[in-house]
Amino acid sequence: MAAPLSSVSKTSAERLPFNTTSFQKKTRSKLISIPGTRPSVQNGQLLVSTGVTSLDYLLGGGLAVGTVLLIEEDRYDSYSRMILKYFLAEGVVCQHELFVAAAQDNPDDIIQELPAPILDDVAIHKPVEQPRLPCEPPDNLDAMNIAWRYQNLPKVQSALASSSRFGHYYDVSKTMEPEIRQAAKFHRFYLPEHLAQPSTTHSPMLESYSALLKSLQEVIHKEGFDLAAPMSKSRNILRVGLHSLGSTLWGDDLSCHDNPKHRHALTTFLYGLRALMRSSLSVAVVTVPSHLIQDRALMGSITRLCDNAIALESFKGSERETNPLYKDYHGLLHVHQVPHLNCLASQLPDHKDLAFKLKRKQFSIERLHLPPDLSETVSRVSRGELAGATSACGSGTSGTKHLDF
Amino acid sequence: MLTELLQGIEAGGFLVIQDSCSYSGRHLLKSFINAALNRAEVVHVLGFDVSEEELKDGLRTSDTQRLHIHSAYTDPLGWTERPAFTVHQFRLEDLTDLVKQTPHPKPATLIIDSLSWILRHVTPPAVCKTLHQLRKGGAVRAVIGLLHADMHQRGTVGSVCHLATSLIAVAPGAKGDEAVAKITKRSKFRKVMQDEEIFSLNGDFTVTIHSKRSNPEQNWNDAEEEQVDPTAELTFNLRLSDSELEAKKKLMLPFVFSKEKLATLSQPAFLK
Amino acid sequence: MFTELNSILNASPDSFTQGEFILVSDRQSDASFLIHHFLSFYLRARCRVCFLGLVQSFCHYNAVGQRLGVSLTQAKEKGQLIFLEGLKESLSILIPHENNTEHQAMNFLRDPAVGLRSLYEFVRSGLTGSGSSEEGAEEWGPPVLLVDDLSVLLSLGVGTGAVLDFSHYCRATACSQLQGNMVMLVRCNGDEEEDGDEGSEWLLKGLSHQCSLALHVQGLPTGYCKDIHGQVEVCWRMRQGDGQHTQKKLFQYKVHDKGASFFARGTSSAVL
Repeated sequence: MAAPLSSVSKTSAERLPFNTTSFQKKTRSKLISIPGTRPSVQNGQLLVSTGVTSLDYLLGGGLAVGTVLLIEEDRYDSYSRMILKYFLAEGVVCQHELFVAAAQDNPDDIIQELPAPILDDVAIHKPVEQPRLPCEPPDNLDAMNIAWRYQNLPKVQSALASSSRFGHYYDVSKTMEPEIRQAAKFHRFYLPEHLAQPSTTHSPMLESYSALLKSLQEVIHKEGFDLAAPMSKSRNILRVGLHSLGSTLWGDDLSCHDNPKHRHALTTFLYGLRALMRSSLSVAVVTVPSHLIQDRALMGSITRLCDNAIALESFKGSERETNPLYKDYHGLLHVHQVPHLNCLASQLPDHKDLAFKLKRKQFSIERLHLPPDLSETVSRVSRGELAGATSACGSGTSGTKHLDF
Repeated sequence: MLTELLQGIEAGGFLVIQDSCSYSGRHLLKSFINAALNRAEVVHVLGFDVSEEELKDGLRTSDTQRLHIHSAYTDPLGWTERPAFTVHQFRLEDLTDLVKQTPHPKPATLIIDSLSWILRHVTPPAVCKTLHQLRKGGAVRAVIGLLHADMHQRGTVGSVCHLATSLIAVAPGAKGDEAVAKITKRSKFRKVMQDEEIFSLNGDFTVTIHSKRSNPEQNWNDAEEEQVDPTAELTFNLRLSDSELEAKKKLMLPFVFSKEKLATLSQPAFLK
Repeated sequence: MFTELNSILNASPDSFTQGEFILVSDRQSDASFLIHHFLSFYLRARCRVCFLGLVQSFCHYNAVGQRLGVSLTQAKEKGQLIFLEGLKESLSILIPHENNTEHQAMNFLRDPAVGLRSLYEFVRSGLTGSGSSEEGAEEWGPPVLLVDDLSVLLSLGVGTGAVLDFSHYCRATACSQLQGNMVMLVRCNGDEEEDGDEGSEWLLKGLSHQCSLALHVQGLPTGYCKDIHGQVEVCWRMRQGDGQHTQKKLFQYKVHDKGASFFARGTSSAVL
């Protein structure tokens, strides 16, 4: 289940009957707060940040724990990959655990490309210093001369303190420092390393997806993310990033053929993924190269099997790149689906026409607005240019009739 | 033509009633059953789509000896231990046995509700072959089948209807109770007659014909609206003639600067 | 339970038509709020409910049920509600381990070509209930089957014909044999496909032929609006012998926290 805040603390067997209101007082004992999460203001869902603050806002405050976010990749997989990296970087900063699966690039490479967080309250883990010999005077170059009262206070914390903020900003021109990166626990699944096992069932799921699902379940069980697992002192969130599912490198022909043979491989996998997410403290981001999938009905099924769904459409390579109207943006963003878990109505964003721009320190998503038309000359169109234009008014016959005035 | 068909189908005939989601042809099918019972014929019904109670609802069940309903509704695929009739029994031998179980001097009329159910599980060629054999054989006199046209590919519907001697395609009419029936009938001499009628069904499943359209082609012409020509009566010209175009090009606009203007302006009369 | 919808459908927990097959469908919108309505409606009517919750967890249905005034956990404990949590049961089949107990009902995940017979067996045992009645066990009303939703079965590789057979058998058991009701949700994509015999459009047509009441939920034809979430078309397919008219009515709706309001077109409070 997408964990509502109070049930994190109780197993299903000992859950008290619900109150009629969804308001949960903070004074309930046994409430465990997990760093990097916050409850939703709408329905008490436990939310995590995607790493992109404007995307959090669009999704209703953040990604609910136990749900799946589908990102339909842009044509060259530049921005969708960026969002995946933001998501994983956010996990590192919040000290969540990561699970990265890819068929094309080594997950280690993906982790090394994570953007550097712009933080002032996260300390970098310094290597433990050699213990000094007691005879050496404890003087160092940093002896304070003016603020000597604070001399004996402990220095910068040696452990990586988790940031208490929800949602951080990242500098895409720099990669995350290795010290911060290595502090996070990271599980990987790289398809070429897994031997293909022949499937024993006639299930429509491919071996690659079965192996991935099995590996994910093992991690969830072993690391204690199961909701049914006995309560320990500290719970954490597992962030699952699955890159480019449905592409040919996973063995799927969904993106190749109009009528794919493995029509239901990815949808069956997504069903299993949803089952895993609902029963554990994890959240998944899946990217799919939807621009290669010809069957719109199948894309619809894939979207419905995920809880959140957004699609990125970048201007690169299209005629819009040079269009002065779109010069402020890198592409369009479409929100296809927003979940309504534990409540009746979903909160779709107000505006449907959204555009995004990847700036150095922020991935901004805003409502597309066209700049005013400030062209200085209004040119008169001569007869020759009109010949190409089709007539808008009147006849249903040929468009070669044109008006001379 | 609808009333003629209701009065009787010729021996060896195969009537298909085609319907869709928006209008169910089952009630018309029941009219045919009632009409056959009224003529003291023996009727066998293969019921797949709806239950026996629903089929019997509204039929003349006073002569139960002549109406035999073989309900395959509860278990058409044999999932329970004792299926009454399964879809796999739709073969000439089994059907002949079924009809012969109830001995009667006259050959029976076989009603199939619905052919679509059978076509989902038995391949269309096999179904067509069985239907053809039924017609040619002597066990049944005539076959009437209900077909949901929107449930199959066009080719399948076409192939089954190709075997039919008469075809009634029903669709909802303009007003609430009424429906439109497009009837095609192939007579013995390969002559094809077509008709379109508006009808409605009464409580006892008798049919009331409201109007007949003797010439359905005319109807289609009327349906096309006449193209109204907006340029018919205008008080201005939409087009310029060539001389007018030339004149327009040559026209000097007041504030456009040109050599002639300059020459005019530099005339001594203006400089003062 | 939405009171306005009850008055539109002329039903209340104390009196509702029995033997009905209610088909809920949506196109590019989400009609699951209607499933929550029917779930709370039939639980309030003290019917025995068998719910196949294939797409969401039990907690989700429970949480929404709380807002609508019913407690699913209590109903399950009392034996009024039989709940199949599809997601949870599927994991043991999708990721096979040695000593896993698999739920027979989800067998189709292992081999979708086999069909939904075991799922039907589960439904049948859920609807007819255990043979032995315990001391002090409560008597429940007519059994009701709710499915959320059928389209996910298509996504898992089950053939459309198999899903139609499953719904046929469920209808034969729930509606005809046990005189209970059945509510099923089908989700379609945007455009209507032409001619085909696969996919959710074809499934929708097949189910429309079987159903007695259909609720089609769609987005507004004029585009996205924050205050009106969409429109619902209610179609009654009357089966009585007193003439055949498929009555249709169109409403617009808005879903809010504790229910949904339905109003005639253009009379939304946001507009007036």
